[in-house]
Amino acid sequence: MKSIYQAAIVILIVSGILIFINDKLNEGGSAGKNTITVYNWGEYIDPDLIKQFEKETGIKVIYETFDSNEGMMGKIEQGGTSYDITAPSEYMVEMMKEKNLLLPLDYSKIPNIKHIDPYFLDLPFDPGNTYSIPYFWGTVGIAFNPTLLEGQTFESWESLWDPTLKQRVILVDSARETVGMSLNSLGYSLNSTNLGELREATDKLKALTPNVKAVIGDEVTQLMVNGEAAISLTWSGQAADMMYENEDIDYVVPEEGSNLWFDNFVIPRTAKNIEGAHAFLNFMLDPEVAAQNADYVGYSTPNLTALDLMDPEVVEDERFYPDEETRSHLEVYKNLGLELLGVYNELFLEFKMNLR
Amino acid sequence: MERIGKLPKLYLTVVFIILYAPIFYLIFYSFNSGGGMSDFESFTWEHYAAVFEDKRLIVIVLNTIIIALLSALASTAIGVIGALAIYFMRNKKMRNAVLSLNNILMVSPDVIIGASFLILFTMIGVKLGFASVLISHIAFSIPIVVIMVLPKLSEMNPTLIDAARDLGATSKDIMTRVILPFIKPGIFAGFFLALTYSLDDFAVTFFVTGNGFSTLSVEIYSMARTGISLTINALSGIIFVVTVGLVLGYYALNRKLKAPLAGVKK
Repeated sequence: MKSIYQAAIVILIVSGILIFINDKLNEGGSAGKNTITVYNWGEYIDPDLIKQFEKETGIKVIYETFDSNEGMMGKIEQGGTSYDITAPSEYMVEMMKEKNLLLPLDYSKIPNIKHIDPYFLDLPFDPGNTYSIPYFWGTVGIAFNPTLLEGQTFESWESLWDPTLKQRVILVDSARETVGMSLNSLGYSLNSTNLGELREATDKLKALTPNVKAVIGDEVTQLMVNGEAAISLTWSGQAADMMYENEDIDYVVPEEGSNLWFDNFVIPRTAKNIEGAHAFLNFMLDPEVAAQNADYVGYSTPNLTALDLMDPEVVEDERFYPDEETRSHLEVYKNLGLELLGVYNELFLEFKMNLR
Repeated sequence: MERIGKLPKLYLTVVFIILYAPIFYLIFYSFNSGGGMSDFESFTWEHYAAVFEDKRLIVIVLNTIIIALLSALASTAIGVIGALAIYFMRNKKMRNAVLSLNNILMVSPDVIIGASFLILFTMIGVKLGFASVLISHIAFSIPIVVIMVLPKLSEMNPTLIDAARDLGATSKDIMTRVILPFIKPGIFAGFFLALTYSLDDFAVTFFVTGNGFSTLSVEIYSMARTGISLTINALSGIIFVVTVGLVLGYYALNRKLKAPLAGVKK
């Protein structure tokens, strides 16, 4: 059958040409053996920095992206990949550590660690930073649009329970954040393991029901930007996105305290080029690099020296770089273990079922 | 077209508006200098320039197209052979069993297919990357091709084959001159469906990409946390225009090819 053969040949030729073009574009990729593979969140690094790193060290970077901690760990655990660097959040660092998926870092090869604010080092999820280096950090707080409200502010979590805010509050669909917010409002720890406290927090959360407009995920950004929602519980990074697109929006971390989260660079056990991975870590910790990267990505950098090189207006913005006082109220999530995590999820579900 | 009533016409219009509005909305904002999708500031080409400057993005787009073309081609070849085998199977029970197995693969969730491929590849030591993505795309496209080709085969009058044999055709002649021409529309439909399946598959691909090889769907999904930039809008715009161009070209070519044939028939 002529036309079928013809079609097949045309397709093969087109694919051949495309493969050729692709190879040309990728040139240099196979030139040297010295490459590292970086597995990071999408849009989480300034691409110019990768070029700069390649030029300075001669190490070629293969860059790949993922969209969830769990997906990332799944692929590393399963093997078949050779990622040299990846960037899990703090609870995932703990989990990967337990599963023996990480390599300890050699700090003699990462002298730039001295630029990191000691406040962000030696935290419970990785004591002594044996396996991880903080990359970006942020908080959980309340994003709100004052133009849609009547002078309410949210210095305290308690203000969310204000009876005038009927059907206006959007919560995130995540057990630790939402139950944690309620725990904080009662003055308890985010990592509470006391079932009585958890019960109390859930009951308090139920009292919030009339004010809850929705419990959703990332879609909240668009709703806030378009002014369709006035108040949302959210992460500082997401709040920054909202504020970037809609200048009316403001963000606060309530005074009772809140969650402090991290994304961290680690070297997985499956890494092939450990030397190159350390070089990359050291490069990313360079103050100039970190400053440029923080500028591009928009999250808060833990690099103390870099702060001096950045736009003072950004660095002095206490919403994203909170002062010592606020920070002393912040807590990092601890890995509570599967059983207790189950309890959190159960209580959160109970609250969600109560919504209707 | 007088036969179409007012109501169906209106219905059709509404459906098309619903289908196309998001695409045009997205393309509209690809010209926004404001950087976001909220308010339109002024017209700019910068996002389109950014697409062509981003070498990584272009490589990923090309990867996606190469995988789609090759996997659709391979799965069409395998799928047609499979459909023929099912059609000519003597044992009815066996035929139904094979067909059911084929259909189970069609409806089983992508996540499960992806996860099992990941396990398989790591077990037998296939390095994740181009090959693993290609193999899994071929695999999930085969059942689709089979489903597209089988009805064409059953549509065919079996006496056609007998007649050909009576006239002295060899088995090879029957295959290339009788059966394949008859099921050609099914083969092409299967090919194009496999192509589109491969282009937009995320779940399976996510599991089996690795070592620097990625496709567009995986890349766009991973941008979700930090917000999808307008570069992606621009890229979608380009892809949309190219697709429309290809479809129009296909029809133009079709008409050209058909015209002389119609003359012969007279």
